[in-house]
Amino acid sequence: MISISSVSKQYKGAPRAALENVSLEIDKGEFVFLVGASGSGKSSLMRMILREDLPTSGSIHVLGENLIGIPNRRVPHFRRKLGVVFQDFRLLPNKTAAQNVAFSLEVIGKSRGFIAEAVPDVLRLVGLEEKANNLPSELSGGEQQRIALARAIVNKPAILLADEPTGNLDPATSIDIMALLERINLSGTTIVMATHDRGIVDRGQKRVVELSQGKIVRDARGASYGVGE
Amino acid sequence: MRFSFVFSEMGIAIRRNLSMVISVILVTFISLTFVGTAGLLQQQIGSMKTYWYDKAQVAIYLCTETSPAEVCPQGEASQDVQDTVTERLKSATVAEYIDKYYFENHQQAYETFQTEFKDNSVAKYVKPEQLNETFWVNLKDPNQAPIIIESFNGLSGVEEVKDQRTYLDQIFSILNIASLAALSIAALMLFSAVLLISTTIRLSAVMRRREIGIMRLVGASNFYIQLPFILEGVVAGVIGSLLAGGAILGIVQIFVQGFLATQLPFTSFVGIPDALALLPLLVLAGGGLAAFAAGSAIRRYLRV
Repeated sequence: MISISSVSKQYKGAPRAALENVSLEIDKGEFVFLVGASGSGKSSLMRMILREDLPTSGSIHVLGENLIGIPNRRVPHFRRKLGVVFQDFRLLPNKTAAQNVAFSLEVIGKSRGFIAEAVPDVLRLVGLEEKANNLPSELSGGEQQRIALARAIVNKPAILLADEPTGNLDPATSIDIMALLERINLSGTTIVMATHDRGIVDRGQKRVVELSQGKIVRDARGASYGVGE
Repeated sequence: MRFSFVFSEMGIAIRRNLSMVISVILVTFISLTFVGTAGLLQQQIGSMKTYWYDKAQVAIYLCTETSPAEVCPQGEASQDVQDTVTERLKSATVAEYIDKYYFENHQQAYETFQTEFKDNSVAKYVKPEQLNETFWVNLKDPNQAPIIIESFNGLSGVEEVKDQRTYLDQIFSILNIASLAALSIAALMLFSAVLLISTTIRLSAVMRRREIGIMRLVGASNFYIQLPFILEGVVAGVIGSLLAGGAILGIVQIFVQGFLATQLPFTSFVGIPDALALLPLLVLAGGGLAAFAAGSAIRRYLRV
């Protein structure tokens, strides 16, 4: 599903490599926590999986695509098979919750009929059907993140990348979001979640990949956040 | 592909960026008005050329008593000179180029002069014998005037052989310079229109960078991302060129047909059909230029 082998990334002008000889296999249906201090390379790794960036050396295969060799014009089609959420939600402030979700389908050319069915369905899944016509500014942080999640999964992606999705949320809301992510995972979506949230990782008891200074220092299943932090 | 979506996105972009879009419309409008004017001026020159060149004659002026002595040492041209000229006009080598010719004597020249300059005080002082006796020659092809000039110039008793087109050419060269000036202004303005369009589109892209970011994230194709911006430029360009077309139609209707044509009734001027024929070209130029400028601007913006 995701196969990363001997990937290194050296940004221009940076004193040390952002990633150094990283190899990682993630199978279909897995839920993986990516942990590590800021600057440990979590975000760089996520960007590579999304093909927003190319490694300096090594190879990356995601969903059967060789991301090093994929031509630029095929990248959009590749990204349609992935969903992404961020710490800062990235919703469009002038569109309602439903319009935000619909937007992601409109821009990939989905039909009106498909959108009319898929958007209410996914809003129900994240439990926000009553807030469909609210603007993001009228929603709480947790609700905004759920809309962002709804947008990420409405096109039924095989992989969901979550970059610190609970970073801006209080603990109780974070637990709600985690429950939602687990539900999405149970329906077969592979989830890679970068996080700093020790409580969530410890409660999850899932596979934990720890990065430090661009290297993988731990890869354990059913693990806790770790002792080093 | 959902056109309604693309168009609504374009509408949002235009509304947010309205002042820039208006400035693009105005610059395109003015520059294409100059382009259109230059085009009409060229057409005008063309139609005047065909009209007047056909009428233009070669004049063989015979010497008079008052002609300068260095060209006409023997003074007034004799009957012999007239006969020599007539003979040569009829000769095989020259006749094949000539459509028709006629001779105008002092008295006829005087009468023509009196009617042409009847409001001018010079008419009172001119005497018939001061005006040249002239052979007026119409050519089958006015471009062959040099052959006639060649064969009569320097003939004793002939003061001058003059192709009337040389007078017309001066007028046409002035009109040509005017249309070139209009074209140069148009080129400068079109250049600034292109720069303005690319700035506008880049500004529009910066204003919508959140949307662009999400579009790229969810896998919208580059074409889909770029299209609303390109259309934004094209809409502005086409509106500008339609305004320019309207201005050209107005100039032709009010200034050329309404004013010039009544002032100079015997000249054929460009009309509404000429201006209408120019309109699709202007729209094509405006839209095409805008598409090119907007397309290259958005592509460069999205690359970085």
